[in-house]
Amino acid sequence: MLHTKVTALLGTLSLLLWGIPASGETVFTDQGGQEIVLSEPIQRAVTIPIPSASMFIAMDGGTSRLAGMHRLSKSAMKDFLLGRFFPEALDIRDDVVGEGFMPNVETLAALDPDIVFQWGSWGEDIITPIRNAGLRVALFQYGTQEYLEGWISMFGAVLGKEEKARTILDWHQNTRKKLEQEVAAIPQEERPRVLYLLRYAAGLQVSGRDTYNDFSIALAGGENAAREAAQFAEVNEEQLLLWDPEVILLNGFEKGVAPEDLYTNPKLASLSAVRNRRVYKMPLGGYRWDPPNQESPLMWQWLAMVLHPERFHWDLQKEMTEKYLYLYGKEPTHQDFEQIFQVAMNGDSLGYEKFLPQE
Amino acid sequence: MSLFNRKTSPAFWAALGILAIGTAVISLGIGRFPISPVKTGGILLSLGIPLSPFWEPREEAIVTLIRLPRILGAFGAGAGLSVAGAALQGIFRNPLVGPQIIGVSTGAGFGGALGIMIAGSTLSVIFSAFLFGLLAMLLVWGICHKGGKGSLLALILAGVVVSAFFTSLTSLLKYVADPYDKLPAIVMWLMGSFATVTYEKLALGLPAIVFPACLLYAVRFRINVLSLGEEEAESLGIHPLRTRWFILACVTLIASATVALAGIVGWVGLVIPHMARAFVGADHRHLLPASALLGGIYLLGIDNLARAGTAVEIPLGVITALIGAPFFALLLRSKQKKGGFE
Repeated sequence: MLHTKVTALLGTLSLLLWGIPASGETVFTDQGGQEIVLSEPIQRAVTIPIPSASMFIAMDGGTSRLAGMHRLSKSAMKDFLLGRFFPEALDIRDDVVGEGFMPNVETLAALDPDIVFQWGSWGEDIITPIRNAGLRVALFQYGTQEYLEGWISMFGAVLGKEEKARTILDWHQNTRKKLEQEVAAIPQEERPRVLYLLRYAAGLQVSGRDTYNDFSIALAGGENAAREAAQFAEVNEEQLLLWDPEVILLNGFEKGVAPEDLYTNPKLASLSAVRNRRVYKMPLGGYRWDPPNQESPLMWQWLAMVLHPERFHWDLQKEMTEKYLYLYGKEPTHQDFEQIFQVAMNGDSLGYEKFLPQE
Repeated sequence: MSLFNRKTSPAFWAALGILAIGTAVISLGIGRFPISPVKTGGILLSLGIPLSPFWEPREEAIVTLIRLPRILGAFGAGAGLSVAGAALQGIFRNPLVGPQIIGVSTGAGFGGALGIMIAGSTLSVIFSAFLFGLLAMLLVWGICHKGGKGSLLALILAGVVVSAFFTSLTSLLKYVADPYDKLPAIVMWLMGSFATVTYEKLALGLPAIVFPACLLYAVRFRINVLSLGEEEAESLGIHPLRTRWFILACVTLIASATVALAGIVGWVGLVIPHMARAFVGADHRHLLPASALLGGIYLLGIDNLARAGTAVEIPLGVITALIGAPFFALLLRSKQKKGGFE
């Protein structure tokens, strides 16, 4: 716990540190607490954490400097928005890392990147081999908005895109602040009990306290129904009935799982969320919207609109078009929006008409 | 034959039977969602006799759709595994043998994981678990049966080999599985849980436990004779090899069916027969039914703890091992004081 706090602090500190130039050099502290000095912006990078490839592309507005990524980073691009925005991303090497984020050091060495981004929370074994190959490593931590903002500033620093990073950070922080203010005005009894299901098909797994989903639910004006559970917990149907969530969010990871599966499950028929048809599949934009990612503010807004249809009436599509143009330099089409919002699965859920794309 | 002369009174069986039914009924009233015993009783009675409901539909769904299938599954699996374990310990004359040792569970485990990976439907998982459980059994047969002898040691070693082989195949599956979609399903399933038991699964799995368990009971005298040793068996006109493989086939079916129902549930088939032997002695006429009842009660109790103990579901395999291992250690010590296992 202390460790997490210290690294969180370091992450925040790195936020403050990255911009300070020392005779043309970029100096920043990664989330492993280590100072990294770059004499010039990097030309080739490899990202190992799965959500970081799409963020790297978003920060750079292109793929030319990404030399390698996790094969599962690519699976969230193939057939999805990012793969259509950047078809060339599908040709980037994805054999740089094996199971358990263990780097394939010889492939990495052959690619000779200027920097490798790796998890800092999975032990030294997945980091040392990269260092031993003479490569520079920057470490990431996971799970909070603060860490996410640290990623954004780190990418800004290594890519020489400090300005863009600052703009994105402002967007994140301002949206958060605005939402916090508006949500503070919502009386406690009007905040629905919300349950995020990380797994549905193979046993039920929920996000309890100390998760990013817990944070997002609170930010969007909901009460996490699974607060008594810590982290990601296995539960059973009976516990679900006891919590009786008014809204259920289905993860974007299990491809085939749709709200319809819950609507037709006789065991769950009495759940408020099922009776009122308030089960929603998480959208998938430039990356899955469940975990922290560059598009998180859009997710918070989407969630606030889902939880409080009477209260929030933003033009989310317009907002997204604007942000996607800024992040990726591309404009989503009508079909893109249908896919992002999972209209095929969510179309019949309560109040979802407002997310149906307009021509 | 003094070994088999121990008397078991009808009162003992009546008590065990009442305990089993009582545990099942009480289990219906246990769960995360509080439902009063009166309502639970009413819902239970309404299954047989028409009764105007004085409970909410939600409570009825919990008792009949969530708790009842899970209770039936846990009891059936516990009973099946224990009968299988008792029979194995009998024919191998080795108290360390359980359904897991002959490689069937790991074979079925791999089969189920493969089913999840390729198709994911309940039917494909169950079918694939069966298929690979049987395949594991055939492999064990193929390895140790050469020359027609098939010694006990060879069989157990073959079990270890086949088990190791399927364990690595399962690891390989986990390695290539999509960590967001398929891998959690495989891991969860291999850990063992009755959380996903439905009537559909029970309809497929329970007969595959009950039928071979009845077959084992039908050959209880032969198991008795085999447990005396091969020479004695042959002198009594029993073909030891054929009988042993018949029993192994029954055990394979039971083990695969429980794996298909709930993943790999360890320790039950090893520990319960010892417990039953302490009550009724080594005569399989009594040992098999006593193991079935005790095993059912035991696994049901454990599953109650797993599903109702905390808001978070406790993995079943964790509890069975946590209770099973120390219990077995105690048993080992007390047996050694008495001069060791026969």
